[in-house]
Parts: sequence; C-alpha cells; structure tokens
Amino acid sequence: MNQIKKIVQSKQMVTFAWIIGLVAVWEIIASYVEKTKRTPDNVLPHLYQIVESVFSPDLVNGSQTAIQIVLSNAGITLFRAAIGFVIGTAIGFLLALLMNMFTAAEKIAFPYLMIIQMIPILGMAPIVLAITKDIDTSRIVIAAILTFYPVATNTLAGFKSVEKEKHELMYSLAARKRDIYKKLLIPSCMPYFFTGLKISAPMAITASILVDTLQGGGGLGCMLSQSLKHAMTIYVFWQIVFVGAIIGILSYALMTLLERLVSPNKKAKR
Amino acid sequence: MNKKKHRKITKDSVTSVLYPLLFGAVIVVLWQTQILHKILGTDTFVLPLPDRIFTIIGDNMGAIMENVKATVIVSLGGLILGSALGYLLGMIAMAFPKWGAGGLTVVSAFNAVPIIAIAPILNNLTKDFSEDANTRSMIAKTLVVTITCTVAMSINAFRGFTELKPFSLDLMKSYAANKATIFFKLRVPNSLPYVFTALRVSVPASIISALVSEYFAEYIIGVGRQIRENIVLAQYATAWAYIVVACAIGIVLYLILLFAEGILLKNRRPRWKSV
Repeated sequence: MNQIKKIVQSKQMVTFAWIIGLVAVWEIIASYVEKTKRTPDNVLPHLYQIVESVFSPDLVNGSQTAIQIVLSNAGITLFRAAIGFVIGTAIGFLLALLMNMFTAAEKIAFPYLMIIQMIPILGMAPIVLAITKDIDTSRIVIAAILTFYPVATNTLAGFKSVEKEKHELMYSLAARKRDIYKKLLIPSCMPYFFTGLKISAPMAITASILVDTLQGGGGLGCMLSQSLKHAMTIYVFWQIVFVGAIIGILSYALMTLLERLVSPNKKAKR
Repeated sequence: MNKKKHRKITKDSVTSVLYPLLFGAVIVVLWQTQILHKILGTDTFVLPLPDRIFTIIGDNMGAIMENVKATVIVSLGGLILGSALGYLLGMIAMAFPKWGAGGLTVVSAFNAVPIIAIAPILNNLTKDFSEDANTRSMIAKTLVVTITCTVAMSINAFRGFTELKPFSLDLMKSYAANKATIFFKLRVPNSLPYVFTALRVSVPASIISALVSEYFAEYIIGVGRQIRENIVLAQYATAWAYIVVACAIGIVLYLILLFAEGILLKNRRPRWKSV
C-alpha cells in the first residue's frame, strides 16, 4: 500500500486519466442501457443524472431532499461504525499486548485468531441482532468483531518483528519491562498496527451498512433497501452507492493520515 | 510486506495444542450448561445448545447440502474468475508500468467500496441475462465475488511481477534473454508467493461476498440467505445450523488453500497475508 501511496503522489495525472477513462466507460454503458432497457434508472443511470439528483431541491419523503436523507443516515451509520471500530481497535491492541506478554495467552488465542479470519462474520450479522435485540448494539458489536482481529494479528506481528539486538540492548541497559514496551515495542509496532486499522476501517463501515439492511430504524443500509424497493426515488440508492464508496475510501485515507501524524518516520517493510 | 506470525515449534508444542483445545472445550461446556446464555443475557431459543444445532444439521443434511452447493459454486466460481482476471490485469500493468500502476491505484480504491453497494447494481444489470431466476441470480452473485477477488489479486500479481530479487533482471539481460523468457523464467515464478498472499485474502473474502450477495439476490438459495430467512421466520436453531455450516465452508476452503500452498511453495519462505 505504501508503494501505491508513492505512486499516487508522483503520478496523480495517471490516476486522474484513469478516472476519466472509467467515467467514459460508465457513460457508454449507461447510454446503451438507456436505449435498451425500460427503466434505465434502475440499471445504470448517467452520472450527470446522479449529480443532478444530488442538487435537486425536490423533497423525497416529505421533509428531506435525497441528499439530506443520504447524509443524515450516513451520519447514523458512520457513528455506530466508529464506536465499534474504536472498541474493536482497543480490544485488538490489548489482546496483542497480552499475547506478547504471556505465552499461554498467545497459545490460547492464536489458533482462534486464525480461525476467525476464515469465518464469515458478516453472515452472522442477523444472529447477533437476534441476541442483542437492538440494532444499534449489533452494529457496534459486528463492527468491533470485524475490527479486532486484523488489528490483533497485525499488532502482534509488529511486536514479533522487533530485532533481537534491540531486545538485547534494552536488556543490557537493565530496562524495566514497562520501559521496554513504552520505548521499544509499542513505537515499533505502530506501522503494523496501522496496517491492521487500514484493513479494518472500510470493513467496519461495510458491516455497519449491512446491519442497517436487516431492520428499519435509519442508517444507510436501511435507506438503500427502501430505495431498492421503490419506497423512494431510486436516485437515493445511487447516491448511497457513491457515498458508501467515498466514505470507505476516506476511512482508509484517514487511517493513512493518522499514521503520518503518529509515526511520521516509520514505515512497515513490505 | 513480509510478516512473521508463525509459532516456534519446540518442546512446548504440546501445550500450544492443548491450551486452545482446553479453551474451546471450556466454551462448549459453558454453552451446553447454559452459563454462556446467562453471560450474554439470552436464552436457548435464540442461542440453541450445541447438541441441538448438530441434530438439526444431521436432520436437514439434504437441504443444507443443496444450499452449500449453491454458495460454494458462487464463491469458487467468482474466486477463480476474479483471480484469473486479476492476474491478467497485473500482467497488463506490468507490461505498461506507468499507466498500469496508476490503474491499479484506482482499482485498489474498489477495495474500500462496500460489497453491499455492488450487489444490488449487478442484480439489476443481469436481469435480462437469463429467463431462469436461479441462473441470473447465480450470475449476479458470481460477478460480485469476481469483483472482490480481482482487486487483491491484481495488486499482488503486479507486485509479484515487478518486485524481483536485486540483480535478477540484470542477470537475465546479461544473458540476452528475450522478454518472453524473462517473463516465464523469472517473473512468473517470482509472482507465485504473491499469488498465495492474494488468495489468503480473497478466499475468506469470496465466501463473505457470496453470503452477502445472496441477501440481495432474487432467487432464494444459499447458506447466507438461509441464515437470514430462518431468522425472519424465528427459526433460530436452523439459522445456527447454517451459520455452523458457513463457518465450516470457510475453514475447509482455507485449509485446502494452505495445503496447496504448502505443496507449491515447499522450498520458499512463507509469506504472510498482506493488502
């Protein structure tokens, strides 16, 4: 990903050209769809139609315009995703710390961390909703579960990646265990920790949107399924697609920014 | 990225098997004795006892296998299509590095797009593809999985083709090797560990996106859809049976992947997952 970042900085024009290309492809398909399908809006509208719907002042559900609905529901979804993300990050980091401190903890938790990667957690969303009985809680729980294991495995990998010589140096300085963690292990695991965060931030948002679709009560996913069932204009759906994509990408960018603020000089070896 | 996460296999390898097994056993005992239910504040209706879940799996083997077949076909079909497409894209990007790398940046942005947003679009797009609702849902679901798997593979394949060992390219050039030889003798073998890195990400991702796209599909079939349908009908025990099956699919496919990797990358350093 670092490599990709570098490319972004040096070759913005190339990226820009690609985006133009993608837009062109979209428009070509949209024109084709417009001629052949009865309801082109449902299949693939023109991009300008979507943009137009963003600025359209028409009320969609009596009190809000399309973009107002999308943004206010995006707020609800993002807020829950963020709470789950923070909780999951904290648990993941603590677990990695525990696993590094106590061999027994590592032995117990490591196989389960591996197994949980193979389990489709999102498929379990409905059952979590049934157990917690509350849509907000289940959003937070699922986002937290999806966040905690990439953070835990990556942070643990960060702890393990510290060179033996540095440990020996600390030992020769008679450093206390607390100082070893504070001055050596935690700073050097930061790039790995952020790799975990970058993986899990978009996942937490996906999870939150998915959980929305399971029950009413607001949130992007809820609006998405309503719009698909034509309870309101289909452009709400298209706006949600783009807003969902944008916040997914922004969440990744936010983690990159945080990484630069926290550890400006360190980069994980890739 | 090359992370070492493997455990040391030493004298205490016995405890490293014993501890997790004990932990698992404790959880199962807590579950069966309903102490877990008290902790979570739920009842045996929503969270049935393990023996009941397994009885249901046994009783409904026929129906479950049918849904498993639908899900596995979608996820494996999408995985193969997506990985092949991704490898091809990586190849194209390698051939035109400047434009290719920029293109991959754009592709990697798709990583952050929620699957949920893609699934309904493809459902609508494929409406006219077939008369049969089952077939066209199948196509739509497979396409969703394909998109998810393409991204990881194309980025990793590109890195596999271009991040060569120092001087290996110079060596090939000093032999006056032509481009095809460099490609097949150097780049393709070099990309193999990266391919498995991508697969470690995309195998679980393919199952997850198959399950999620089933939620939105027209035709009601598949493990993911059954979880949801049974919960809507308040048949929690059956839903749990499907959850167990979904987890089993995930674990089995991952183990197959690890097995294949163990054979194909026998003499190489293990590379751990990235992206």
